[in-house]
Amino acid sequence: MRGWRLLTQAGAQVLGRSSGSLSAALPPPSGNRTNICLRGKNGTWWDEHLSEENVPFVKQLVSNEDKVQLASKLCPLQDEPWPIQPWEPGSSRVGLIALKLGMMPLWTKDGQKHVVTLLQVQDCHVVKYTSKENHNGKMAALHAGGKTASRFQLGLLPKQKVQIFRVTDNAVIKPGPPLYAAHFRPGQYVDVTGKTIGKGVEGIMKRWGFKGQPATHGQTKTHRRPGAISTGDVARVWPGTKMPGRMGNVARTTYGLKVWRINTKLNIIYVNGSVPGHKNGLVKVRDSKLPAFKDFCKNLPFPTYFPDRDEEELPEDLYDKNVWQSSEPSITFA
Amino acid sequence: WHQGKGKTLPSVVCRPGRQQSTGPSEPGAFQPPPKSVIVDKRCLPGQETRFLSPEFIPPRGRTDPLKFKLERKEMLERRKVLCIPELYVGSILRVTTADLYASGKTSQFLGICIQRSGSGLGATFILRNTIERQGVEICFELYNPRVQEIQVVKLEKRLDDGLLYLRDALPEYSTFDVNMKPVSLEAGQEVPVNKLKVKMEPRPWSKRWERPKFNIKGIGFDLHLTEEQMKEAQKWSQPWLEFDMMREHDTSKIEAEIWEEIQASKNS
Repeated sequence: MRGWRLLTQAGAQVLGRSSGSLSAALPPPSGNRTNICLRGKNGTWWDEHLSEENVPFVKQLVSNEDKVQLASKLCPLQDEPWPIQPWEPGSSRVGLIALKLGMMPLWTKDGQKHVVTLLQVQDCHVVKYTSKENHNGKMAALHAGGKTASRFQLGLLPKQKVQIFRVTDNAVIKPGPPLYAAHFRPGQYVDVTGKTIGKGVEGIMKRWGFKGQPATHGQTKTHRRPGAISTGDVARVWPGTKMPGRMGNVARTTYGLKVWRINTKLNIIYVNGSVPGHKNGLVKVRDSKLPAFKDFCKNLPFPTYFPDRDEEELPEDLYDKNVWQSSEPSITFA
Repeated sequence: WHQGKGKTLPSVVCRPGRQQSTGPSEPGAFQPPPKSVIVDKRCLPGQETRFLSPEFIPPRGRTDPLKFKLERKEMLERRKVLCIPELYVGSILRVTTADLYASGKTSQFLGICIQRSGSGLGATFILRNTIERQGVEICFELYNPRVQEIQVVKLEKRLDDGLLYLRDALPEYSTFDVNMKPVSLEAGQEVPVNKLKVKMEPRPWSKRWERPKFNIKGIGFDLHLTEEQMKEAQKWSQPWLEFDMMREHDTSKIEAEIWEEIQASKNS
């Protein structure tokens, strides 16, 4: 298999190097085989030739550089941004990339309990702009990047996830400024896309929801099997028949999730219900495309929320009008 | 005590209507007994019992600690409004909730706490009582806004952490008088442990309570099981579990952080 071949190649490289340079020092014990295959063809890792004192120094240096770079992008006014255009019916704006933190209960003022997912926006920046013609001819596209990742893990941009948002021409933003959670407001509806939790190979009852067979009444070794897979006349199995196989680890979207609350200080969005993906996974959040919520963004910050440009400071917590807050007294039905 | 309208006192203005209790006017005058104010001593800001409710301790997992901090902030804010007393499995509680379909819009339930589960804002406890010879269990959420009052009628602990076996016990062990008066403890006294051994209904039970995985000490097994059956149950014991290092989870650092957060929120 291809994987085994890579491993043997990497192994041969290690052995070749160590036998060739007998006088040189052996690689540090952290340089095991798995590290080498992840680095690709050059077969080295970032701290191979650094001495022990220099490793923390380089780490500190790089993280300081990253912080300075991020901080310089925080003020888009210095960058001569593009003019902000007003909202028109039919325009769509950028979305965000957020991290799924977990889930929590939330109560409304009439005593109903709802469950919300917390999505935290960490270092979301607009990375690239592609005009209508370059992209696909219909709409312009903005690339937004998610969580900042370590420079040494990837060879590309230090962003863990980059997603494309199809945007109308009046909502384009010059690449650079960060996007905040206040881009969304409580009471609006969003669509959230994420990669579902991978379950590996699963049977048809879990994967496709088949009913299976009864547990008793004479069933011989048949409790979770599909039964018949095709008719007799066709004399073959239709392509695309539902069968066991790999389930999960696929991008899926949940539509029409209501935003209950936004924490502007920590950049957290509280979204109704559940969201595809595991905890600490990255998801793409954008305004809902459902026809019921068309043209919802007329009251929302367009093209996005710029903290230094707006006149008034937003409070730390923004709530939907129906949400019961913990500092309020207990609910009574008078 | 009738209204002292007819009394003529030299230096006091005659007030119309009921005599107000504004302090002693004369050394011999009648002073009505002071109104007894029932104050829950455990919720006073001065009392420090150092009891950390188990729902504050986050479960083991790879969740971001920021999420638990946000939840704890909400829980502490709710605790400032509603006094949630220290409650153990085995104590008897009376809970008042807002109910849309009840007359007076509130409903009360008294029962013994048989289980506390969940962590964070969704923490729950189950109260059990027998009403007209029918066993009733209600699961309440600690931080639900419809809960208006949680009153501890009798604070005590039992030998076990879960009393689910009361479902298979004789009904007298789950029956409590709904109008029970609260039993108060002196301040500073430790929580009493009730070493009651419960008598059960004849077998089969809903769960095999004699098996070591439940680790139940509060049932009188000698009345219902023979020595052989007890030995048979020990076949399912897992003596290596107490030496399993992967199951060890030291929560002292997390608890220290949580105590600091509680102190900070009390001071603010």
